Amino acid sequence: MDLAPVLSGFAVVFEPQNLLYCLIGVTLGMLVGVLPGLGPAATIAILLPITYGIEPAAAVILLAGIFYGAQYGGTITSVLLRLPGEASSVVTAIDGYQMARQGKAGSALGIAAIGSFIGGTASIILLTLVAPFVANFALEFGPAEYSVLALIGIFLVATLGNGTLIKSVAAGGVGLILATVGLDPIVGTARFTFGSDQLADGIDFVIVAMGLFGVGEILYNLEHRLRPQPAVLSFGRAIPTRLEWLRSRLAILRGSVVGFVLGVLPGGGATMSSLVAYAVEKRSAKDPSRFGKGAIEGVAGPESANNAAATSSFIPLLTLGIPANATMAVLFGALLLQGIPPGPQLIVDHPDVFWGVVNSMYVGNILLLLLSIPLIGVFVRLLRVRAAILAPLTVLITMIGVYSIRNNVFDMFLVVALGLVGYGMKKLGFEPGPFVLAFVLGELLESSFRRSMRLFGGDLTGFVERPVSAVLVAVFVLTVVIVPVLRAVRGRQAARAEREVVGV
Amino acid sequence: MTAEESATPGERAVVDGTPPVTELPEGEIPSGGPGHAVLAGVVPVLLGLVTMWLARDLGLGTLTDPGPGLWPMIVAVLVLLTGVGILLRARQARDTEAFTRGAVVVVIAAASLALYAFLFELVGFEIPTVLLLVLWLKFFGNESWRTTAVVSVVATAAAYALFITALGVPLPHLIAI
Repeated sequence: MDLAPVLSGFAVVFEPQNLLYCLIGVTLGMLVGVLPGLGPAATIAILLPITYGIEPAAAVILLAGIFYGAQYGGTITSVLLRLPGEASSVVTAIDGYQMARQGKAGSALGIAAIGSFIGGTASIILLTLVAPFVANFALEFGPAEYSVLALIGIFLVATLGNGTLIKSVAAGGVGLILATVGLDPIVGTARFTFGSDQLADGIDFVIVAMGLFGVGEILYNLEHRLRPQPAVLSFGRAIPTRLEWLRSRLAILRGSVVGFVLGVLPGGGATMSSLVAYAVEKRSAKDPSRFGKGAIEGVAGPESANNAAATSSFIPLLTLGIPANATMAVLFGALLLQGIPPGPQLIVDHPDVFWGVVNSMYVGNILLLLLSIPLIGVFVRLLRVRAAILAPLTVLITMIGVYSIRNNVFDMFLVVALGLVGYGMKKLGFEPGPFVLAFVLGELLESSFRRSMRLFGGDLTGFVERPVSAVLVAVFVLTVVIVPVLRAVRGRQAARAEREVVGV
Repeated sequence: MTAEESATPGERAVVDGTPPVTELPEGEIPSGGPGHAVLAGVVPVLLGLVTMWLARDLGLGTLTDPGPGLWPMIVAVLVLLTGVGILLRARQARDTEAFTRGAVVVVIAAASLALYAFLFELVGFEIPTVLLLVLWLKFFGNESWRTTAVVSVVATAAAYALFITALGVPLPHLIAI
């Protein structure tokens, strides 16, 4: 393996401004992880217009930091409030909150931070080794392969998300329809523009992401803003004892591996991996009855896993150009905005961006470890910030940000309309994630499908006659069979986890 | 609702010292009835039908030479089918949420954002921004008048500094610096 580009990636990271963006990114990530209401996908979407003017590597370093930083932050509310900030921290709440009740919140938070650091770092090392091979392999892909790959991506995200399968597919379908608004990519006919010039260029991805994730979430939270929150449990310093460290060592190791492997799979990798890691710990423990009563392995395993998964979910995006989850879909959009199409050619054409971003995660994880152990009290104090003040400020940044994309008021109306769509979807049980992801991949899917059809002379069997695309078709068929099984398993575990979280 | 009821963790929760008090979030969101479940199926069915109708006019072409309408048609059929599937399972569905009285706030909030966009170009961004923040802070958030005044004025000034001065976005504005 050629090490030169990897090393020159470190040169990119250590440019002072990139270090600064990395710090801003992970700090913001911790913040949104701690603060209820706004997830990492929404935060990244809202900040997209602001990153327009920044250099590509710096912009992606910043946005990626928000994503993995949020994994650290989500733990804090899980342990102290039994309110998981992110879906991937749900299982941490089981034993983490019990530890907090026993006055060991500091140990729980400390071991979570250390586990996250080890899981994240191990995952970056594996990513560094694996990604170039995947990208190299994917360079051979033609339109047929890309059609099938995009289909797999959308299907997996739709099915591994949190909503019911059929509703997620419906949401994805509507996203694909919305993606066709504007000029036809091949012959240039105006489609679904209703005679409006404003829609002729299609709908900007940023507006869709900001509308569905940003405005949609804010509106949704407005309806139920009055829920009182539980009190924050007190804790001392976020440092585990020696005995606790010895107990959780292997849990961290196992969690990291589980996280890395499941994180590569598109769709909810982080959530899924934390559930699996918890199950693994409970099964391998000598005394499983300790779980649910404050077992430190029940914090260490899942927290290492969700961070490892968050990192490895970058692999499909950076090597294949297929986002593995909703946040990756927004990052996909961010790269496109910078004029860098994510895909197998990224590592060759823009090694500075690729290795800069990957290596920045080492620095980001160190920064997060530093932020979470000594400075954790500062973030806990942020739980005091009132949603009533935060929501109007967020909505203001969103509205002005949308305007700044094209200096166009029409886009502001569009983002409000999409916000209402996002709100309605959540109320009726549709996930916005598959919608946004399908919207991102829509054009790729349509144009590669149409090119393949021309190539194959209208014969659909062409997809199985090319060897690589045939393998991918097989993978697709296999996932269609396997995923419902995985869902059933996960559903059972999630239900059990929820029962344990609720019924103390 | 009074200010005391809307107290946030900051006011009651104590980071260090005081004995921990546990409370579960009250007021679980009521789930939607059969009407909501049916609505969740009707929307995709209608969207599918409308798209199919529009796509047909665009020209389907053939599989060998797909026209602009072919792809939207394929997706529209898929959406239509999922809608039918959702309708068939509507009886068992438990995944919708009822629209509570709070939904009125959501509609007003969305309308205020649309009005904001409308006024934005007419009178510059400063006055609509202050008004929007006052509405959200005072009437949606039940903040005190003092907090409302301070936050809305400071945030407007900060938005000016960030977007106009620092990022150079040509926002329509009254005050020139």
